[in-house]
Amino acid sequence: MELRPIFSTLMRNKTGAILIALQVALTLAIVSNALFIITQRLEIASRPSGVDDEGQVFEIGIATLNEPEDPVAHQERDEALIRAVPGVEAVAWSNQVPLGQSGWGMGLFNSREQEQSTSWTGLYFTAGPLVDVLGLKIVEGRDFTPSDVETVDFDKERRFGGKAIVSAALAKRLSPEGSVVGKTVYVGNGEDASAMEVVGVVERLQTPWAQTDDDGEMSTVSAMRTTERFSRYAVRAAPGEAERVQRDVEAALLASEPGRLVVRNRTIAENRINRYRSDKAMAGTLVTVTLLLLVVTASGIVGMASLWVNQRRKQIGVRRALGATRFDILRYFLTENLMITGGGVLIGSILALALNQVLVSQMELPRLPLGYIGVGVMALWLLGILAVYGPARRASLVPPAVATRAT
Amino acid sequence: MFRYYLSLGLRSLRRNPILTGLMVLTLSVGIAASMSTLTVLHVMSGDPIPHKSDRLFVPQFNYGELRGYDPNEDLDQQVAYTEARNLLDSGFGVRRVAVYGMNGALRTQDPDFQAIVGNGLAASRDFFAMFEVPFLHGGVWSEADEQNAADVVVLSRKMAERLFGKTDAVGERVRMGENFYKVVGVLDDWHPLPKYYRLINGNGGAFYGEEEYIEPFATAVRHEEGNSGSNNCTGKGPDPGWQGWLDSDCTWIQFWFETESASDRQALTEYLGAYIDEQKQLGRFERPSRIAVSNVMEWMQLLNVVGDDSRISTWLAFGFLLVCLVNTIGLLLAKFTARAGEIGVRRALGASRGEIFAQYLIEAAVIGLVGGVVGLLLAFGGLALIAKQSNAMSMVASMDWEMLLLTIVLAVVASIFAGLLPTWRACQVLPAMQLKSQ
Repeated sequence: MELRPIFSTLMRNKTGAILIALQVALTLAIVSNALFIITQRLEIASRPSGVDDEGQVFEIGIATLNEPEDPVAHQERDEALIRAVPGVEAVAWSNQVPLGQSGWGMGLFNSREQEQSTSWTGLYFTAGPLVDVLGLKIVEGRDFTPSDVETVDFDKERRFGGKAIVSAALAKRLSPEGSVVGKTVYVGNGEDASAMEVVGVVERLQTPWAQTDDDGEMSTVSAMRTTERFSRYAVRAAPGEAERVQRDVEAALLASEPGRLVVRNRTIAENRINRYRSDKAMAGTLVTVTLLLLVVTASGIVGMASLWVNQRRKQIGVRRALGATRFDILRYFLTENLMITGGGVLIGSILALALNQVLVSQMELPRLPLGYIGVGVMALWLLGILAVYGPARRASLVPPAVATRAT
Repeated sequence: MFRYYLSLGLRSLRRNPILTGLMVLTLSVGIAASMSTLTVLHVMSGDPIPHKSDRLFVPQFNYGELRGYDPNEDLDQQVAYTEARNLLDSGFGVRRVAVYGMNGALRTQDPDFQAIVGNGLAASRDFFAMFEVPFLHGGVWSEADEQNAADVVVLSRKMAERLFGKTDAVGERVRMGENFYKVVGVLDDWHPLPKYYRLINGNGGAFYGEEEYIEPFATAVRHEEGNSGSNNCTGKGPDPGWQGWLDSDCTWIQFWFETESASDRQALTEYLGAYIDEQKQLGRFERPSRIAVSNVMEWMQLLNVVGDDSRISTWLAFGFLLVCLVNTIGLLLAKFTARAGEIGVRRALGASRGEIFAQYLIEAAVIGLVGGVVGLLLAFGGLALIAKQSNAMSMVASMDWEMLLLTIVLAVVASIFAGLLPTWRACQVLPAMQLKSQ
């Protein structure tokens, strides 16, 4: 291979080569970090909530004008009304739903004496078959029975239902060895703590906020009903009918008494879009930046290579006249490009790590896995070859006769 | 000479349209990306009330039981009702404001009126003066109304129009639940960015959303209106019922002091220290006394109002601009190299290196100017895309004159910077060499 002569030619006309290498280096630094952030965001946004078929489950929040005289009967009547709507498969009164981004979060303790909580937990209350509505998978123990459900009036007492179902991730924190089913856990500590017996474990149930750290998987469902003027119902519709069922349920509830107000009527799938909107937007922005960056860099390579080909027409002619084949010329330019991008990616890898260091120190971003730099290197090498191919081919078409002509 | 070089530069744009077009495009895309992200950052981190942001203070206390206390834990960001009440009455500083959020269903006296759900605010009377909230009609409720926790309300302009079909709704009655509130004032449009006066909220975050109705703090408490937003209880929870909630150490109210000058901060810290010591005598505040006082800008920084995403985007966009600049250097180099002959002739005819330098640098600046204008248009497009991302983004993605000017300046400076090397190379052309090879 003619590596040495190519290299010494490059050294004689360094500026252009250095510019391209620098451009490649910066591009690699940005693209590898961007790719990393994009993947991370998309992974976060696609974490399962535990809800089976999120488009079929919706929450409807409704307020009444006046305090109902018998809130429990009122809620039960609502549930019956909703259940009667054709296409409704299951309904449960509930204080919050996955990905809803509002609700209860409390500290869980293994004993009243414990000082630091064992885990934070998102605290769901339900008076119905929430497990069925959400389509949760029970991996241990059992679902609630109607007799588990207690009614609590927070205006009169501060306690929670005595029976609980926890997510598997939380079960592991509460009881690292052995089963948590049958054990008693406490919301809060001290003598005022509310005791709950764990009766079941579900495979997965995210909190309404779906935090990105482990807390996002720590959920507890308590079998209880609270008496408030505002009620929320989680409803599962038959496949493909969610939209119509949502409308019909809203109409039925509004018609049941005057002065009611629907505050929210959204599927879990819609909640998911809202929850991850900023992550998706970030990924979208970065994809755009990455693509533009590759186009700019490619255009830089094309421009510089075209310039070189034009400057060297005469030399190319001479080489051709002295017996170099078209392929030799093509190979020359491709090799030259590989050397330049090679230098670029070498510097770029270091820059990528440096940029990542800045992002890590300034913001909450994990360290860049080296694989992303590898992908970036491959992409830029490929981009370089594709970009230089056009000018190189034109160079290979320079006829040997050019050598004999004066400029 | 400058004008002549300028016209030469403009003319040379046309001479090599593809190369020039590529340069302008590269530069403008880089400028657009960096300026649209920077604009968002600029709005997010802007000072919403410049003339008094250094003398508005948020106090923070160390609530909770001693049991399970972690000294590294962050202080509470809000205060309990007891503090709100005591500090409002304290008389310290020029003004004091307690504020929390709520949601309500608003109706008129017409029984058939379909209720409107509104975002409300419970605020003490000084809220309007402290945060300079503009009134369109009427004004703030009276001192007596505040004392008596009267059923009075101030509406936003939009809410007044939605409820009564007119902006001048002063004197009308708004029904919430079973109570009738007298409208005493209607606000003019008021959109401070960020919404620094209530950053911890349940609707819209730091940027989006409007306060649609504002009622006296005492009135909201009397009607047992709960806070829509963050309610934080540590250790032993509150006793049942509304009174239990008010007596508890749960934090849910945002509190502000306005002082005479920024230097009163020390006095405020000392005053609060003495207050906590006094409360400790009463058996409250078991934990070691820790007090923090933040002014508006510090408070926004503490609550991380400028999200990490906006910062990452800006970093990456400026990296992108750097790549575009390197690319422009290469393209300018190509363009100027192709004109070595021309430079040779001018040098031979007596032009000094300095003149060549000036001419080519101006040509680079012209490209920057055109790139800046195109970049500005693209930046508007970029901002429109950013605005679509979310409600919050739609509030912050708007360009002001400052940023508009900065865009053009950045483009010209960047292109001059990019032109330095190619221009320097152009100056090195030896006239004799060029003339010989012609």
